[in-house]
Amino acid sequence: MIFRIGFQLVKRLAPVFLTILFIVWLYTYYGAWDYTIKNISEFFRLIFEHFALVVISMFCAVLVGVTLGTIMTRKSMEKTSSAIMAVVNIWQSVPSLGVIALAYGFLPLIGFSGIGMVPALIALFFHAVAPIVRNTYAGIESVSKDVIEAATGMGMTKKQILFQIELPNAMPVIAGGVRTSTAIIVGTAPLAFLIGGGGLGFWIFTGIALVDMGIMMAGAVPVAIIAMLFDYCLCISEKFLVSRGVRTDEIKID
Amino acid sequence: MGIMLSLQKVTKIYPGAGHIKAVNELSFDLEEGEICTVVGPSGCGKTTAMKMINRLISISSGKIIIDGNDISRLNTIELRRSIGYVIQNIGLFPNMTIGENIAIIPKLLKWNKSRIDEKVQRLLEIVNLDPDEYRDRYPKELSGGQQQRIGVARAMAGDPPIMLMDEPFGAIDPINREHLQNEFLKIQEKVKKTIVFVTHDINEAIKMGDKICLLKDGQLVQFASPEKILTHPENDFVASFVGRDRTLKRLNLFTIKRAMKDNPPVIHQDEIIETARNMFSKTDIRYLIAVDGEGTLTGIVDKHDIPDKATCVKDAVTPTDAWLTVHSSLKDGLSEIFTHDYGFLVVVDDSKKVLGWLHTEDIKEMLKG
Repeated sequence: MIFRIGFQLVKRLAPVFLTILFIVWLYTYYGAWDYTIKNISEFFRLIFEHFALVVISMFCAVLVGVTLGTIMTRKSMEKTSSAIMAVVNIWQSVPSLGVIALAYGFLPLIGFSGIGMVPALIALFFHAVAPIVRNTYAGIESVSKDVIEAATGMGMTKKQILFQIELPNAMPVIAGGVRTSTAIIVGTAPLAFLIGGGGLGFWIFTGIALVDMGIMMAGAVPVAIIAMLFDYCLCISEKFLVSRGVRTDEIKID
Repeated sequence: MGIMLSLQKVTKIYPGAGHIKAVNELSFDLEEGEICTVVGPSGCGKTTAMKMINRLISISSGKIIIDGNDISRLNTIELRRSIGYVIQNIGLFPNMTIGENIAIIPKLLKWNKSRIDEKVQRLLEIVNLDPDEYRDRYPKELSGGQQQRIGVARAMAGDPPIMLMDEPFGAIDPINREHLQNEFLKIQEKVKKTIVFVTHDINEAIKMGDKICLLKDGQLVQFASPEKILTHPENDFVASFVGRDRTLKRLNLFTIKRAMKDNPPVIHQDEIIETARNMFSKTDIRYLIAVDGEGTLTGIVDKHDIPDKATCVKDAVTPTDAWLTVHSSLKDGLSEIFTHDYGFLVVVDDSKKVLGWLHTEDIKEMLKG
């Protein structure tokens, strides 16, 4: 018994441990550590900007995405929702760099600056919102019609059905959308530097321009760690948000 | 017993498609505590008729009265909360535990927590699932039959006087279905709800219903007790729908008690064998039913199969399983008679004491009378 649990733990933790080891080795090998220590105040500023980019754009994307996705499932929206879905699907196929470029090119046309943190946030938001809308819509639509009929027949109001039945049952799918979005945003955030949005992209692109692996690694490694951190946090929060009755990827240690 | 549910010329017209009347001037009254099975070929409007009662489908014309109140004047949500609802595909909420599923209506009715807990506990006991084992499980961890029991428990949780059941056992395999039907009838004996039970299976309709409401193309063809429908089908449609074997189906409606004869030829197994020989010579019967001191069945004595060395009746007794309790259906009884060579069946009570015996002639007589 104890051996089996031990073995399971090793099996799950070994890849994580090896990845960390590899990153630390890359980090120190190219002298990124020394560069970071020398520029520690700038490092903290970039980390802060980077977090702000990801957290703010994701927060808005979840808020807007889940709301829009939910509204699209309401009966009166039946016709409009397919049109919105078509737009969302096209939008999602635009590559990350394209979204940044679009914001840079489009915002001046409607009288806003295309440079700075706000345009970067807008670009990231639009990039993140698509998978969330799509998954919220699909998640709620996939809740069994029998379940809804039973709930209606038992005398639950539309609001009660939405919050007690539809959203909780769609939660695994919605959470999947949020995780996809987060992965995309964490990967796209360094590009924000290109339109003056700040963040760790600054060191990455500077390193590439100067062919200085140390500076580049000083930016790239924290980006990778932040990505893992976000994924881990979402994983944990899913445990609380998704009911055991609708979870599919239960890992059992017996 | 007052009238609990009354449909008065209830009609449903779906607009478009030639204004087809899905349900046409359907009227019937249901007394408190009765089960009414609504049955008919598919597309006959039986589900539509049922769903108008909790207003999942609106009524085009006519009235539905529940316990003296016209439902069109009641608040839809409150009306639905006062009617238990069970559907074919159960529709348990996957995100909630079994306990939470059952507690949903009481919570909507704002009962206090201890009353809800008590209710959940009691309902799980009623449907024969151990509360401590099942309360915290999720629907996906239960079998189909268990899920449907929870569906029934959930529908009863708010103490509704009326329950609507839409082919509740339709998706369950035949063996479990029969088991659930029997269990449900036992529960109904205790709770005495007024139930509208939709099914497409005439056998289920006969078994479950106190009244059968037979529909065809939205029209009421016959509304009567199962016995009446089987003995006096209104027209050829009813006769063909209940089937050519309708007389045999009636056997299901009665228990053995109704047809059996008292005073079977019983002999105490400790008597000397001469007593048996005497009895055989005086009458033309071939078999005697052997009992012990308590009157409990021990076996059968065959006139042609008494060993020469026998001194006591006991020595001539062959054990037998040609017996049934008085509560069994006549259908089972007839089947048992045909299974054994005796030409009759010993009828016993729950402790296997001999009460009477049953011949095919007795059944025939009863079906005639």
